[in-house]
Amino acid sequence: MLKVEGLTVRADGVELVHDVSFSLAPGERVGLIGESGSGKSLTALSLMGLLPEGVTATGRARLGGDDLLGVPESRLKGLRGSRMSMVFQEPMTALNPLMRVGAQVAEVMTLHGRPRGEARERAVELLDRVRLPEPARLARAYPHQLSGGQRQRVMLAIALANGPGLLICDEPTTALDVTVQKQMLDLISEVAPALLFITHDLAVVASMCERVLVMYGGRVVESGPLREVFTRPRHRYTQGLLAASRLTPRGTRLPVIEGSVPAAGHFPGGCVFRNRCPHATPTCETEPQLTEPQLTDPAPGDPAPGDPAPGDPAPGEPTPGEPTPTGDRHAFACWHPAE
Amino acid sequence: MTPPNPGPAGAAAPYLVKRVAVLLASTAVAAVAVFAFMALLPGDPAEIALGVNATPEAVAELRRQFGTDRPPAVRFLDWFGGLLQGDFGTSYVTSAPIGPQIADRLGVTVVLVAGGMAVALALAVPLGTFAAVHHRNPLGAAISAVSQIGIAVPAFLAGILLVFVFAVRAQALPSGGYVPLADGPGEWLRHLLMPWLSLGLVQGAVLTRYVRSAVLDVMREDYLRTARAKGRGSTGALWRHGLRNASIPVVTVLGLQLATLLIGAVVVERVFVLPGLGDLLLSGVAGRDLLLVQGVVMVLVAAVLLINFVVDVAYHLLDPRLR
Amino acid sequence: MTGRKARWMTRWTTGGRPGDRPGEQPGEGRGDLPDDRPGRRPGRPGGRLNAGLLAGGALVGLVALAAVASFFWTPHDPTLVDAAQRLREPGGGYLLGADKFGRDTFSQLMVGARTTLYVGVVAVGIAAVLGAPLGVIAGMTPRGWLSELIMRVNDLVFAFPALLLAVMLGAVYGPGTLTAMIAIGVATVPAFARVARAATLQVMVTDYILAARAAGRRRPAIAVRHVLPNIASVLIVQASVSFAIAILAEAALSFLGFGTRPPIPSWGRMLQESQELLFSTPRLALWPGLAIALAVLGFNLLGDGLRDFLDPRLRRIRAEG
Repeated sequence: MLKVEGLTVRADGVELVHDVSFSLAPGERVGLIGESGSGKSLTALSLMGLLPEGVTATGRARLGGDDLLGVPESRLKGLRGSRMSMVFQEPMTALNPLMRVGAQVAEVMTLHGRPRGEARERAVELLDRVRLPEPARLARAYPHQLSGGQRQRVMLAIALANGPGLLICDEPTTALDVTVQKQMLDLISEVAPALLFITHDLAVVASMCERVLVMYGGRVVESGPLREVFTRPRHRYTQGLLAASRLTPRGTRLPVIEGSVPAAGHFPGGCVFRNRCPHATPTCETEPQLTEPQLTDPAPGDPAPGDPAPGDPAPGEPTPGEPTPTGDRHAFACWHPAE
Repeated sequence: MTPPNPGPAGAAAPYLVKRVAVLLASTAVAAVAVFAFMALLPGDPAEIALGVNATPEAVAELRRQFGTDRPPAVRFLDWFGGLLQGDFGTSYVTSAPIGPQIADRLGVTVVLVAGGMAVALALAVPLGTFAAVHHRNPLGAAISAVSQIGIAVPAFLAGILLVFVFAVRAQALPSGGYVPLADGPGEWLRHLLMPWLSLGLVQGAVLTRYVRSAVLDVMREDYLRTARAKGRGSTGALWRHGLRNASIPVVTVLGLQLATLLIGAVVVERVFVLPGLGDLLLSGVAGRDLLLVQGVVMVLVAAVLLINFVVDVAYHLLDPRLR
Repeated sequence: MTGRKARWMTRWTTGGRPGDRPGEQPGEGRGDLPDDRPGRRPGRPGGRLNAGLLAGGALVGLVALAAVASFFWTPHDPTLVDAAQRLREPGGGYLLGADKFGRDTFSQLMVGARTTLYVGVVAVGIAAVLGAPLGVIAGMTPRGWLSELIMRVNDLVFAFPALLLAVMLGAVYGPGTLTAMIAIGVATVPAFARVARAATLQVMVTDYILAARAAGRRRPAIAVRHVLPNIASVLIVQASVSFAIAILAEAALSFLGFGTRPPIPSWGRMLQESQELLFSTPRLALWPGLAIALAVLGFNLLGDGLRDFLDPRLRRIRAEG
């Protein structure tokens, strides 16, 4: 349903997201994880066509039969809010402070052709559906009269109003109280159609998603089914991330990742993680590709993908027997993968 | 999770009562200040009126006539009580009642200020919004630069420049003077056009920068992104969700500007020889007619306070967060 | 006045963003943290050591230069009435010509710069010396009766614009440079007090002030050691902006005859004297008008430029990942 190929995002000549590809089937739930600064929000915003001024996206992205990148705003705005929706990180500022909540929910429906009266009625139904108490009364409230959790539910109601096929959630619970987070997550997983869920919280991803993409330095460094990636991380970054969140299999506690995420445009060439990676070698100065090794039956004698023989394949040359990586199967971009 | 209390929409009433009380109180305090300054500090009006050679008896008699022999508190209450009924007292110099003079002149000043504000708004809102939306391209930057220069020109200088262009060179408009509306709207308009422009162009330049800044701020707000995520284009989002939000800070500035315009009008009236309050004030000073000056100053200060009041109330109506 | 409105007014009387300052590191020099990461600057309007700051500094410097030079030398005596040079055209030692009394326009402009700066310095000085401490006191004890009193009085003074104060003072004591300076200064106090209060409120909640208070430092010591240095940049910017406003006010007052008295040259009065000759000798209005506009422009640009320069946390592109 959603297919992204070679998505690259630039600002002022700096690449913030580099060559990201993945796809999403109808009803599928995919997590996009990484530290802040890894480019995950920009990836989502570029799909919605909501990048900040001066930031541009190239590549290919299709939702059903419609292109999302490189098309004029007029084409895109017909899709936004109807076939794909987004819930943002900061509920406190995402609603117009001068407009009643119900009107803000109704707006997204009138914009896509529903008559005003009907939209107002349905707005109340939607507020009820996201489990807001006394929806009819709450529809007349202004955003500042609602708590953060309630505002985020309103945002979710807006996102669901036109029955979109794809819901993008960008850290929807990060700004909320811990007690409210769980309720919000349960609600999202209950109502979401296909879901692209962005977070830095691995535990949240584990409870919400079937598949994950791990981003670092604007690249997808590892992807695959949640269970495989989380139980057997191959990329050293994923490994560190999991170690830091103590979700590793017992007995294999690993040190927390050294250093901090560099500023945009200041990632090293080659493997973007190599300046923080304890396993980095000169090989890592060439860029590793996201590849899907044939884990099922590796041919004996074949070089492991992360272990090229000296003077062996030029960087970027695919390792044997792998299809175009789409994130469906376990894939990673590392010269020295963990076993 | 407790349900919020949206509250009735008409909750502004207690606020309004409170704000009116503040307005009245601050007007009264301002009156005390003006009175203390103008009526207590300078010399004795009776002595001034009679000159240095007057007999003490004559001075005492005139003092009794003026009422300045009474204690200051009584004189203040008398004056302030009169003000509340529109009676500004009688001039010590010309023996003419002051209230009617002020009433005569007030109309001209109000027309001048209103027209200036209209020019400023008509200029600033479209230009400021345009400059904000196009802040990355040269035309937007050019608007900012021109407005920066406009701010540096005082209204009376703008007036002189306009006179030079339209009266001296083009000879299209009169260089000054005033024709009442009753004597013909065409002439009335011709005489007011340049005063309006000289007030409005300068304040418009100032306002343009504020409008630009307010719109720029709003353009960065998350709710505008939400509106676009709903399927609005960026222009549509700005119209529907941005402008009202941007108008809140602009209203504050409008209040400040109205006060500035009122004072600027005093100077512009002098440039264009318009018979407004400023002209009355200055002629009062020139004739050492202190009670007249006191009255006009009080009217102008009260007007500034009233403008502040209107701004506060407008603010309250615009922003539900304050209710 | 409501909090939100006060916030906006503060912001727009200083022109600054309340959330952006003051600097939070006590030890670090303020304003020395320009973001000069490569690859971030192209295409961004207004760099750090920006064109506005330089242009404003140059214009202000020019005015100051003319003022200082006028103490030592002017082409002619600016007050010398010389019937032979009446309305003399520019040239022959009279660079910009002479006015209806035969006084050299260029010399008058030079000494006028002196008047302008003199009035500005004293007026802004009065406003800063009165306004800043009041604002700091009000900001350090936001709930006390003293703070309330200060801000109420402040609001009251705000209702008396400089021109009204000057006219009142002039009516009572006679017009002159001194009354003009006092009137402009007093009328500018509220702006300083508001700005200082808003900045102080922000500084007071920072960790190092809390630490200083926890350590038992007394309020005056905190004010001098911690608050003032941290709001200094805000006050400097406000001073520059107020200076521009003071120049405008002085010009307007002199134009009305409530400012500097003859024969001391003043740009505002030069304009007033030129008005009747606008039909015959418009250049007499041109030069003082230009001088006023350039001086005001200079201080405005300087204020804006200083704000950008002193404020390391300017808006950035939101590029969070």
